[in-house]
Amino acid sequence: MNNIIEVKDLKKVYHMGKEKIYAVNGVNFTIREGEFCCLLGTSGSGKSTLLNLMAGIEKASKGSIIIKGEDVVKLNETKLAKFRQNYLGFVFQAYNLIGSMNALENVEFPLIFKRVPAGKRKKMAIRMLKRVGLGERLYHKPKEMSGGQQQRVGIARAFVANPQIVFADEPTGNLDTKTTMEVMDLIHDLARRNKQTIVMVTHDPRLAEYGDKIIRVSDGKIVDVEVRKTDEEILNEQMEASRRAEIEKMEKIEKAKEAKRRKEEAKALKAAGHKKEAKTENTEDKKENEQDEQKTDETV
Amino acid sequence: MKMIDMLKLGLRNLGRRKARTALTVMGVVIGTISIVIMISIGIGMNENYTKQVMQLGSLNTITVGKYQDVIDSDGNYVDYKEQQINDALIEQIKALDHVKVVSGVVEGNVQLTARGKYQSNMSLYVMDKSTFEDFDFPPLANGSYNEEVNFKKPTIFVGPNILKYYFYNPKSRNYDQYEVQPTDPVTLTIQNWEYQQDPKKKARKYPVNMYVFDCDENSEYNYNTYMDKSEYERLYHEYLKTLNVKDRKKAEKKMREYNNIKVCVDNVKYIDEVQEKIKELGFYSSSLTQYTKSSQETSKMLQMVLGGVGAVAMLVSAISIANTMVMSIYERTKEIGVMKVLGCYVRDVKRLFLFEAAMIGLIGGIIGIIISYIMSFFINKFGGKLFEAIMSTGSLWGMTGEGAKFSIIPLWLPVAAAGFAMLVGVVSGFAPANKATKISAIEAMRNE
Ligand SMILES: Nc1ncnc2c1ncn2[C@@H]1O[C@H](COP(=O)(O)OP(=O)(O)O)[C@@H](O)[C@H]1O
Ligand SMILES: [Mg+2]
Repeated sequence: MNNIIEVKDLKKVYHMGKEKIYAVNGVNFTIREGEFCCLLGTSGSGKSTLLNLMAGIEKASKGSIIIKGEDVVKLNETKLAKFRQNYLGFVFQAYNLIGSMNALENVEFPLIFKRVPAGKRKKMAIRMLKRVGLGERLYHKPKEMSGGQQQRVGIARAFVANPQIVFADEPTGNLDTKTTMEVMDLIHDLARRNKQTIVMVTHDPRLAEYGDKIIRVSDGKIVDVEVRKTDEEILNEQMEASRRAEIEKMEKIEKAKEAKRRKEEAKALKAAGHKKEAKTENTEDKKENEQDEQKTDETV
Repeated sequence: MKMIDMLKLGLRNLGRRKARTALTVMGVVIGTISIVIMISIGIGMNENYTKQVMQLGSLNTITVGKYQDVIDSDGNYVDYKEQQINDALIEQIKALDHVKVVSGVVEGNVQLTARGKYQSNMSLYVMDKSTFEDFDFPPLANGSYNEEVNFKKPTIFVGPNILKYYFYNPKSRNYDQYEVQPTDPVTLTIQNWEYQQDPKKKARKYPVNMYVFDCDENSEYNYNTYMDKSEYERLYHEYLKTLNVKDRKKAEKKMREYNNIKVCVDNVKYIDEVQEKIKELGFYSSSLTQYTKSSQETSKMLQMVLGGVGAVAMLVSAISIANTMVMSIYERTKEIGVMKVLGCYVRDVKRLFLFEAAMIGLIGGIIGIIISYIMSFFINKFGGKLFEAIMSTGSLWGMTGEGAKFSIIPLWLPVAAAGFAMLVGVVSGFAPANKATKISAIEAMRNE
C-alpha cells in the first residue's frame, strides 16, 4: 500500500524566554493509505504538537511532512485552507461545536467553506448524522446533547466531506469508558468503510489497540513503531466493512418498502369503510417504524 | 464561502448577542438621526429663504439708488447716501462681469382716476418693458408683459395693494376709500407740483390699461406701479407742452435723471462680487441677499451645532462598533480557530467580520432614517414656535407661516445616510477584522 503521509526529520522548537523546548525532536515515520495510526505517549511527550504539525496547524521548525505528495510545511495559509477542505477532517477532544448552531448546521459548517450548494449540503449532513445515530437530533443545539452525542456530531462533521485523512486528538478524552468505546468503534468503522486514513493521538494504551500501527512517542522522539496489521489484513477489513454497509443498505430499502406496503394496506382498509380500525392500526405502524429506524441508526 | 452563506452566518452572529448588538446599533441610530435631521433642516431653511426672498423680489437683482441705504455685512442699516447716477454709470456697470441687463429707472409723479371720481396720487417707476422679465417681475393677474407698445392706450402695471387701499373720492365728505377693480376704467394724468402750469393749458387725462401684479403680500411690487419707458416718454412730451415755458427745460432734464439703476446678474452667487465691483466704482447698492445673510448665518450655526452632535455621535458609535467587534472576536477566538481548521480561508474570516460591522452600521442607518422621517414630520408640524425662539432676529419673516417646512429630506439623503452609516461600520470594523485574521488555528486545539 502507498504511504499517504511521510514525515522526515521533523523538529518543532518552542522558545520560552532563553529556554528552548524541543516538543518534536527529529521524527521520521510513514503512514499507509487506509491505516488507523495511533500516536501513543504520556502527557507532554509531544503527540499533539506532532499532529498539529502534520495538519499544518503549526509551522515546523525543520523537516518535511509529505501528505499526498505535497509538503505541508511549505504551503501558505490559503493553500493550507484549500488542502484541509479537500483532504482533511478533524475530531477534537473538546468537540468544538459552534454553540449557536444545531447539530445539522454544525455538520454542514465545513461544507460551507467548500462552497457546496445548500441543498446538497443539507442532504450530506443529514445522511452523515443518521450514520452516527443522531437522525433524531438534527435540530438540537450542542447544549441540549450529552458529551457522547456532541462528539458524534463532531465525528459527523469530520467525515461529512468524506476526507481521505482524519486527524483526531484525544477524541474520547472528555468521555466516560462506555461512550469512549462506542465513539472509537464508530470512528474505526467509518474509516474502514470509506477506506480513510486515521491519525489519532491518545495517552491510553488500551485505545491505541484500535490502531493498525502504534507510534510510541516520548520526549519529542519516537521510541517505537509497532505495525499490528499487514496491508492485506487492512484491505480485508475494508472489504468486509463495505460488504456490511451494502447489506445494511439493502435491509433499509426493504424496510422502507415494507412500511410503504403496510401504509397502502391501511389506506385500502380505510377506503373499504373500516375507518376506526384502520386509524388505530396506522398509528401503531408508525410507532413501530420509528422504533425500527432508531435501532438501525444506532447499530451502524 | 458563498456570499449568501456569509450573509446568513454574519446575521446569525449578530443575533447571538442581541442586547449588545442593539446597543451598538443604537449609537449608529443616534448619529444617523443627528446627521439626517441636520441636513434636512439645512435644506429646509435654505429652501424657505429662497422661497420667501423670491416672493419679495428678484434674488439676482441689484439696485443702485439715488438715495441709497447703506447696509453692513450683517444686513443692518447703517447710513444713507445721495449719489449721482446717470447713463455713464449704466455703461460702466454694463461692462462688469456677470451683469446681464442694466436698466435705469425714472420716477414719475402721476395721478390716477378710477371710474371718473376716485383718485390716487403716486410715484410711478418707468423702465423698458422688455427688461421686466429679466428682473423677475411677478406674473400678472390679467394681461401680459409681451404686448406691443401702444401709444393710444398705454399700460400701467400696478400692485394689488394700491388698488385696494390707495384710491379715495376727494369730493366726498369722509374721503371715501374705494377698492378699484382691474376692469374699472382708469385715467392717468402726469402732475408735478414743482413746475408751473401754463395757465392756458391743462394736463390731459389719458385712459390706460391696468394690469395687476399677482404677487405675495410681502413683495415690493405690491405697493409699486410701473410703466413702459417709451409709452411714458410720449405722454411726458405732451405734458411738457402744458408747462410754463420757464419750467419746461427743467422738467425735460428731470426725464433723464434716474431714481435708481436696476442690475440683473446672471447668477445669484455673483451678487456679492458685482456689488463689490459697483462699490469700487464709488457707488453703494443693495440687494435682497444682503438682508437674508444674517438669518442664513443663524441657520448655518444651528446646522453646525446639530452637525457637531451628529459627528460626535457617529464617532462614538464608530468606537462602539469597533469595541463590539473586538469583544466579539475575543469571545469567538476558539470558533475562529475551528473555522480555520475546517478549511475557512483567512480572507473569508476577514470578510465575515467586516460584514458584521457593516451590518451594524447599515441597520443603525436604516432605523435612524426611519426615525428621522418621523422626527422631520413632527418638526414641520410643531417646529414653528421652536424656531421662532431660536431665531430671535426678526429676519425670519414668513418662516413660521402656514405650511412652512423646516425639515426637508430629499430622496438622496436617506441613500447617502445609509451608505455613510455602513461605511462607518466598515471602517471601524477594519482593525478588528484584521485582528481576527491573525488568530491561529491552534486556538481550536487548546483544551482549557
Ligand atoms: N505553544 C507552546 N509553547 C511552549 N511550549 C509548548 C507549546 N505547546 C506545547 N509546548 C510544550 O511542548 C511539549 C509537548 O506538548 P504537547 O504536544 O501538547 O504534548 P502532548 O500532547 O503529548 O501532551 C510540552 O512540554 C509542552 O509544554
Ligand atoms: Mg495533547
